[in-house]
Amino acid sequence: MNDDFVRTICPYCGTGCGLIMKVRNGKVVGTYPDREHPVSHGTLCIKGWCAHEFIHHPDRLTSPLIRKGDSFEEISWEEAIALAAGRLTEIARIHGGDAIGGLCSAKCTNEENYLFQKLIRMAFKTNNVDHCARLCHAPTAAGLARTTGSGAMTNSISDLAGAECILIIGSNAAESHPVIMGEIYRAADRGATVIVIDPRETAVAQNAHLHLRINPGTDIPLLSGMMRHIVDTGLLNTRFIEERTEGFPELKTYLESWPVEKVAAECGIEGTLIKKVAEIYAKAKDAAIVYCMGITQHACGTANVFAISNLALLCGHVGKEFSGIYPLRGQNNVQGSCDVGGLPNVYPGYQSVSDPKVQDKFQQAWGRELSAKPGLTVTEMIGAAGKNIRAMYIMAENPAISDPDVNHALESLGKLDFLIVQDIFLTETARFAHLILPATCFAEKTGTYTNTERRFQLLRKVIDPPGQAKGDFEILCLLANALGLNFPYTHPGEVMEEIALLVPAYGGIRFDRLERAGLQWPCPDVHHPGTRFLHKDRFTRGRGLFIIPEYTPPCERPDEDYPFYLGTGRMFAHYHTGTMTRRSPFLNREQEEPYAEIHPDDASRMAVKDGDRIRITTRRGSIVTAARVSSKVSRGCIFAPFHFTEARANILTNPVLDPISKIPEFKVCAAKMEKVTNEGEGR
Amino acid sequence: MLDTVKNISRSILRERQADGVLGLTRQKSTTLEEGMDIIQPHVFADPGELDDLVIEPKWLFAKLAMTILRSSPESYRLAVICRGCDERAVIELIKRNQIEKDRIATVGIACSQEQASVCLCQRPYPEKLDAGVAAEGVDPFQDGQIRELLMGDDGTRMEKWAKLLKRCIKCYGCRNSCPICVCIPCKLEDEVWVDTGSIPAGMIPYHLIRAFHLSDTCVACGACQEACPVHIPLLALQLSMREILRKNFGYEAGIDPERKSPVLFDFSQEPSPERELPAWIDSLKAKI
Ligand code: SF4
Ligand code: SF4
Ligand code: SF4
Repeated sequence: MNDDFVRTICPYCGTGCGLIMKVRNGKVVGTYPDREHPVSHGTLCIKGWCAHEFIHHPDRLTSPLIRKGDSFEEISWEEAIALAAGRLTEIARIHGGDAIGGLCSAKCTNEENYLFQKLIRMAFKTNNVDHCARLCHAPTAAGLARTTGSGAMTNSISDLAGAECILIIGSNAAESHPVIMGEIYRAADRGATVIVIDPRETAVAQNAHLHLRINPGTDIPLLSGMMRHIVDTGLLNTRFIEERTEGFPELKTYLESWPVEKVAAECGIEGTLIKKVAEIYAKAKDAAIVYCMGITQHACGTANVFAISNLALLCGHVGKEFSGIYPLRGQNNVQGSCDVGGLPNVYPGYQSVSDPKVQDKFQQAWGRELSAKPGLTVTEMIGAAGKNIRAMYIMAENPAISDPDVNHALESLGKLDFLIVQDIFLTETARFAHLILPATCFAEKTGTYTNTERRFQLLRKVIDPPGQAKGDFEILCLLANALGLNFPYTHPGEVMEEIALLVPAYGGIRFDRLERAGLQWPCPDVHHPGTRFLHKDRFTRGRGLFIIPEYTPPCERPDEDYPFYLGTGRMFAHYHTGTMTRRSPFLNREQEEPYAEIHPDDASRMAVKDGDRIRITTRRGSIVTAARVSSKVSRGCIFAPFHFTEARANILTNPVLDPISKIPEFKVCAAKMEKVTNEGEGR
Repeated sequence: MLDTVKNISRSILRERQADGVLGLTRQKSTTLEEGMDIIQPHVFADPGELDDLVIEPKWLFAKLAMTILRSSPESYRLAVICRGCDERAVIELIKRNQIEKDRIATVGIACSQEQASVCLCQRPYPEKLDAGVAAEGVDPFQDGQIRELLMGDDGTRMEKWAKLLKRCIKCYGCRNSCPICVCIPCKLEDEVWVDTGSIPAGMIPYHLIRAFHLSDTCVACGACQEACPVHIPLLALQLSMREILRKNFGYEAGIDPERKSPVLFDFSQEPSPERELPAWIDSLKAKI
């Protein structure tokens, strides 16, 4: 049999690199970079190169499974679908539709997510649908939507290479978005100044011109201090502020409370450095701000985003090429899963569920009565599990590792009357399920992903699913039809056309137009070439809005009992909850065991050597992991990657929420640490 | 030129000189919009398919050819559309017993002058040239960036390279895409040398081991550097070693299928008048 090559898209991060998968005898045997891809241009990170490694793993789910006591038994698809539809209908009848909750997935395609939210909203007349976007960029969606009218990255990845100054805040792009990091280096090679703001000395910080190592959670003081200095020195873009924005006088008054000296003390860095960085950013012809979880995963996440937006507006560094605001989206399709309505307060295209006109439009299009009440978020649903929420349908999400204070989340999952988990592996979450539906991975389906620069890209089916596993698309149609809805779709392209009808900004997206390089929304009609950068001449909301970023220091600060700061994040070889990467041999060999980074001074004070076992404890729980002694973290700080099920960093994290976007404060909590001498007392 | 390549490939398949031709295919888009066609590698097995064959952009096939041959039955024979560097890589793979000589054929194509200057290529054409006109070789040592990278005293060079290599995100792309980086097991996967679990990959254990392992077999195709997401000019490391072999031994990898590497095979019998090492090697003395 001949070898075959299929062009498709990487299933890991939001960069959305192009892959060429090599197929032989129905098996994917290799991954190669796509030299023709508009974003990755023939490069990949270590995860992309290994994208084929988990596909044929023996752990793949191949048959629907039903819980029998503590184990699972195989059942047929007919039985599984009938059971799912029957139980959900029954529970909705007894407890009302709002007792059902659904988690769609940033790993699934736009079409699958669209169908998922449509199913939940139509069948149960509830808006209880959300997903892990809540845990990463909910503040971006909420924050940038308010200040600019669109909660997405303003420019394109390739624009970074043309910037004169790049400010990177709370992003370790070198490990988490490596191919985007390449564009930043391209800019640096052309003479741009790269400035990193991060409490950790990340790989990005090590390669930057300037590193502002601020105290955890002090982004608002820092950005406010920079703005104050820009205003004081007259480096602000008065013309832009007058012509294109509103709310500046209020911000100006607010900035008076942040003299640079006070900021320096709060952030723990030199005032002169703050001034210098402010001047470089303000004076640059084109300047970009790149940010990630270090900004959003705080109880003041949305306010952090306001502060970033304010800085860009103040200098007029938005609405033009080579500048702008770059939230780096985490999952391969987290942009898309939000875009197509996987959120409790909006329909596809961020159209509010509580707006009667919008409600009308969707009721007409879908032919069912819909709820006007915003639904619950991921964390709220799981918190209410067993109480208001009686049944959940979880598609390709793994809250048992990804949610904050995960012990509590697990307890809740166990209280549900009925839990359906649809996934490719028996995840930690699936272990709680009553019914498991075996689904397909990225290589086994057709559909679209939207990357972090708003680019719809075509995912191509490379091979058939294993055993009896079915595509999420097909499963959703089967279940919807069993629930009495009419989902007549035979191909995801038809779903895309339906989305295009309902969301003006995606009006011109068609599968055949995506073949070569995809299209960046907004793309209102079938002749529109897509949009490289947003807010040209006019912000999506009209004028750019300055919003005062109220500063709330981290909810937990180190004290006598818990003297360390703890933050969580990713490392370069693994992805999120590790379901795929830890089953990829080459990635797993790179990092097999959980670890936490601690500062050499703290280590020596506690007589901990590199590789020693340590127990980290917070007010929520404790884990035992290996110490990695490294000055990447500051004195008094601990960094724990959250990929590892045997030492779940999220047992430790603080579930306190940002009031606007409801994101939990993953990035800071107070912890204590001790050396484990007797291994038996671990776990 | 393209037509010549198609014709040669057709006759290869018709006359059963090979079971497949590895090259690039252009699949017509279903929309009427311009520039929407898809280009990707393909094994052409049927002469009819060859209408879709294209030869641009640069895409290297030697390593792909090796993996295809390895997983095919022994009777399977493959023809490969080869630029100069790709042909040199095929020859090196044959010399190193990675590809069986009588299972592979090449269709040699010349690169454009423009391509040669992008690649800083000394030989932008294959020895067995089947289509196109050979462009002039480019002297990479006249290039500003290369000079800058290889010039200066120990300290300056060390600083420059340490700064560049510190960017490395350890994607293994340079190794994966290099046509002749094929050892099993790979030293870069040996924890004795290369630390796991952190980036960047170390300068000496990762980058210099790799560079030295390829010192006498690098064909200067630039695949490593083109696959590097963080734009490290990896080829510059290789070029100076190639130059030493050329100057001292009159040896160039991938040109003569019969001649073994003077470094690995027959060091004593090679003429080695004034042996000389690339200047940057003494950078190793510096502490990192
Ligand atoms: S950068 Fe992201 S999209 Fe690109 S290869 Fe790596 S994980 Fe995949
Ligand atoms: S390295 Fe030389 S032979 Fe290879 S593609 Fe470039 S110009 Fe052509
Ligand atoms: S391709 Fe570049 S980033 Fe990747 S391992 Fe090689 S040098 Fe490092």
